[in-house]
Amino acid sequence: MSARAGHILAGAGALAVLATLPLWGGTPYGLELGITAATFTVLSTGLNLVYGYTGLLSFAQVAFFGIGGYTSALLSHDAGWPVFAGALVGGVLALLLGLVIGYTSLRLSRHAFAIVSLSFALLCLIISRDWVSLTRGPMGVPGLIAPTLQLPGLGRIGFDRPAVFYWLMLSYAVLVVAATHRLVRSRIGRAFIAIKLNQPLAESQGIDPLRHRLLAIGVSALTSGIAGGFYVFHLTIVDPSIFDFYYTETMLIMVIVGGPGSFWGVVVASLAFTAIPDMLRFSHDLRMVLYGAILIGAMLAFPRGVGGWAAQRRLVRLRRPILA
Amino acid sequence: MRVGLSPVFAATVCALMFSATARAEDPIQIGASLPLTGTAAFFGQHSRWGAELAVAEANAAGGVLGRQIALDPQDNRCNPTEAVKSVSQMLSDKKDVAILDGLCSSAILAMMPLVERAEVPLVVANGTATAIVDKSGAGGNKWVFKVNPSDGSLADALVGYLVEHEKDKAAKIAVLGEDTDFGRGGAQALDAALGKFGMKLASSDFYQQGTPDFTAVFTKLRSEKPSMIAVYAVGADVQNIARQYVSFGVGIPFTGRLLTDLVPPEIMASGALDGSVVAQAYAPEVDTPANHAFVDAFTKKFGKPPNLLSREGYEAACVVIDAIKRAGQADPAAIRDALEKTDLTSILGAQIKFDDHHLAHDYAVILTVKGGKVVIAALNKT
Amino acid sequence: MDFATLLQLLINGLVLGVIYALIAIGLALIFGVIEIVNFAHGELYMLGAVAAYFLTMNLGIGFWASIALVTIGAFGVGIVLYELLLAPLAGQGFERSILLTLGLSMVLQNGAMFLLTSTPRLETTPYSYRFLVLGDARVPLLRLFALILALVAFGAVYVTLHHTRTGKAMRGVAQNRAAALMVGIDPRAAARLAVAIGVGLSGLAGAALAPVYSVHPVMGFAFVFKAFAVIIIGGLGNILGAAISAVSLGIVESIAGGFLPPAFVDAIAFIAMILILLLRPQGLFGRGVRV
Repeated sequence: MSARAGHILAGAGALAVLATLPLWGGTPYGLELGITAATFTVLSTGLNLVYGYTGLLSFAQVAFFGIGGYTSALLSHDAGWPVFAGALVGGVLALLLGLVIGYTSLRLSRHAFAIVSLSFALLCLIISRDWVSLTRGPMGVPGLIAPTLQLPGLGRIGFDRPAVFYWLMLSYAVLVVAATHRLVRSRIGRAFIAIKLNQPLAESQGIDPLRHRLLAIGVSALTSGIAGGFYVFHLTIVDPSIFDFYYTETMLIMVIVGGPGSFWGVVVASLAFTAIPDMLRFSHDLRMVLYGAILIGAMLAFPRGVGGWAAQRRLVRLRRPILA
Repeated sequence: MRVGLSPVFAATVCALMFSATARAEDPIQIGASLPLTGTAAFFGQHSRWGAELAVAEANAAGGVLGRQIALDPQDNRCNPTEAVKSVSQMLSDKKDVAILDGLCSSAILAMMPLVERAEVPLVVANGTATAIVDKSGAGGNKWVFKVNPSDGSLADALVGYLVEHEKDKAAKIAVLGEDTDFGRGGAQALDAALGKFGMKLASSDFYQQGTPDFTAVFTKLRSEKPSMIAVYAVGADVQNIARQYVSFGVGIPFTGRLLTDLVPPEIMASGALDGSVVAQAYAPEVDTPANHAFVDAFTKKFGKPPNLLSREGYEAACVVIDAIKRAGQADPAAIRDALEKTDLTSILGAQIKFDDHHLAHDYAVILTVKGGKVVIAALNKT
Repeated sequence: MDFATLLQLLINGLVLGVIYALIAIGLALIFGVIEIVNFAHGELYMLGAVAAYFLTMNLGIGFWASIALVTIGAFGVGIVLYELLLAPLAGQGFERSILLTLGLSMVLQNGAMFLLTSTPRLETTPYSYRFLVLGDARVPLLRLFALILALVAFGAVYVTLHHTRTGKAMRGVAQNRAAALMVGIDPRAAARLAVAIGVGLSGLAGAALAPVYSVHPVMGFAFVFKAFAVIIIGGLGNILGAAISAVSLGIVESIAGGFLPPAFVDAIAFIAMILILLLRPQGLFGRGVRV
């Protein structure tokens, strides 16, 4: 059996386990963890695309998520739009705003992008609280009604049932992971890595760093925005705490430990870091102390995360016969 | 697949063993979803202490239905996402026969559909948003009960008192509130209450929770000279507001829901806040035997005097424990039915009965500051 | 708006701006010399305030002595921080340094929350509630002290950068690292001093403000994000630019706060930063350590 077939089999097996979660772990809490894990997989895969592949540290991921959430909540609640259309518009709005902050700050430097993305997230928080006539302010928009689908042959499917919503979020996460995987393994993905590793060299090969970086930011904003657009209908409420800096910290931990630029490492870390701390019932304070310590340790010892470390080990093994 | 399933199999076996060994002597468990970390942790902690005191008292008196009671507090960071997670965990364990508080309105609103689906009662102790009451009882959700008065009833009680005693002071009230549902909701309710007497708020300023500097807004208010400043603030912000208020000699009496017990004692004693009139759902100074007993027991157990939140946590836990007793069984549905027939005397001396929207009507405490001391001016039915 | 109110707003703004500057200058200095944006700066300020609180309220040490002790202690913390965490990272990339200092800030903030709980504390000194009257305006004594201490600190930083060997080395490293190496400057000594001064300033700010603002684990949050905006507006790594931007921001916020709701005031720094990036991306005063 070739390695590739093995990977496909392992992937299919993992997918089968995840898809049948409602059958073997279908408690409300099991499903809740599943929904959170699927959502964070989308978010951290997006962050990995931007940070791991093009080398831009972004704090704006949570802002895209929140923008998507607010847009779809308001379109559905105030204008009576269907949820799926609202989520799509939310994603597109996040994409456009992502391009704006990316374009303005990248003209200066990568450094400016990091700080501008942070300020953008804080600005979104302020707007969600204080543009009361639009966002309802800190009271949020409660009473969001999850969509129902009328499918021929299957009858009505209500997404207010956690199991059904889990399947929706899981399918979306699988779609995003697959699409992102295709992107990073394509010619464009190789250009991303080239820009990250050596920008002047990449430019001399005719790769435009700005356009590629904007593409990465745009894709991650779109996928995160749509995720937010769905997710708030599971919570049934959207309020400014959707922009909590704590989510940014959690996403960063997933990407750093999984290994920036290591595609499957980050996906696995997203699942692990949603489930493990919750199951161990860590207090949040201690959890965040531990996350901080992990970040410090990773930066000093494993800057490329577990995934990067594994890849390094593989390279060493591959090189051994030549060196010997 | 083998790797994926074996932990599941192990977990199932464990779960089966646990349920097999569950005996009648196991404690009856009550969940509590509260902010125990993050910026609202101080309040979650107080609500938790209040509930813990109620549980400890019930256990010392021999427990309920011959069993001890255990509290299962879980963190929600005052955030709907975490609230949903914590409550799902309680509902999955199927041990909690009722759930307490939530504390923050947005967290409670997100928890409500979950308890309705799982058919476990939720007794709200601290959230104030009117949307909670609108959706409860006759509003559709039969599983949610609210012990504390809502923003609207407190504001009505406050304005009623002002109009009766110091009408000129109600004419030009400016709001200084935190930019949360507590601040904004309080201001809205105050404006509506004033509207019933043909008045309205002079101005509203909302600041981000955790803002250290209030000098600009105080300078502005000092020049606009409102008749009173209605404060809706909690935690560190109260200390910053009180100290900067004195440092800059603002000299305009406070109203609204200023938490007088968080004001540094030397400021209170200096008389700088004299003339202030605030409405609260509770004040430790209220002179009833039940309240004295509560304040003493709380201070003895936790080394700190109780505040508004500890008392609401206590009261809500008492309501649940009483309902379990009357239900005669530790079953969520039976407890819910018992909750509807609640008839208890609160530590302020009011009758706690839930109306058709499952809202209890405890007293609103009107506090005034005179000669550097907090004085109970009135207990108004809400 | 009458003159007295405007004067009061101006004075408040000046004090607030100098407080911002105390925090922003340290950030700008550290960025200028080792290209690290210190995300833990707000937590170091918080630690300074917490230390000053316990020194005065629990050990009975006086206000001025507590400031001296905390500043010296923070200077030492800066050296340890550099040697343990930042030096191994030298030249390893901007993003890694952000993530490392973000990790440090998570440890410090949540550790403080765990050990001290979120209970707010208020340091009381003999100067609390005393103030100076200037016409119709008031200046609380403790704010005046913070202003004076900050000006003394700026003077000391100026002297260090211009009249000491290591200080000149710091400017050299900031302007051109390769050239500085070639003429025999030890970049490590310069970097160590830069971090020590930066952390020392945030400790000073914490100790001086502990009796002005309520002391609690998340108190650093409100200032540090504004300080990031300030160092972008002033030109990344430009110390004088950071100081001028900080003081201007304080004054603008204060005056605007006299007319606008407080929530809009909080957005001023971020909006100004985004406008600066659009119109003059190198910052108002350009890049480089200039004092």
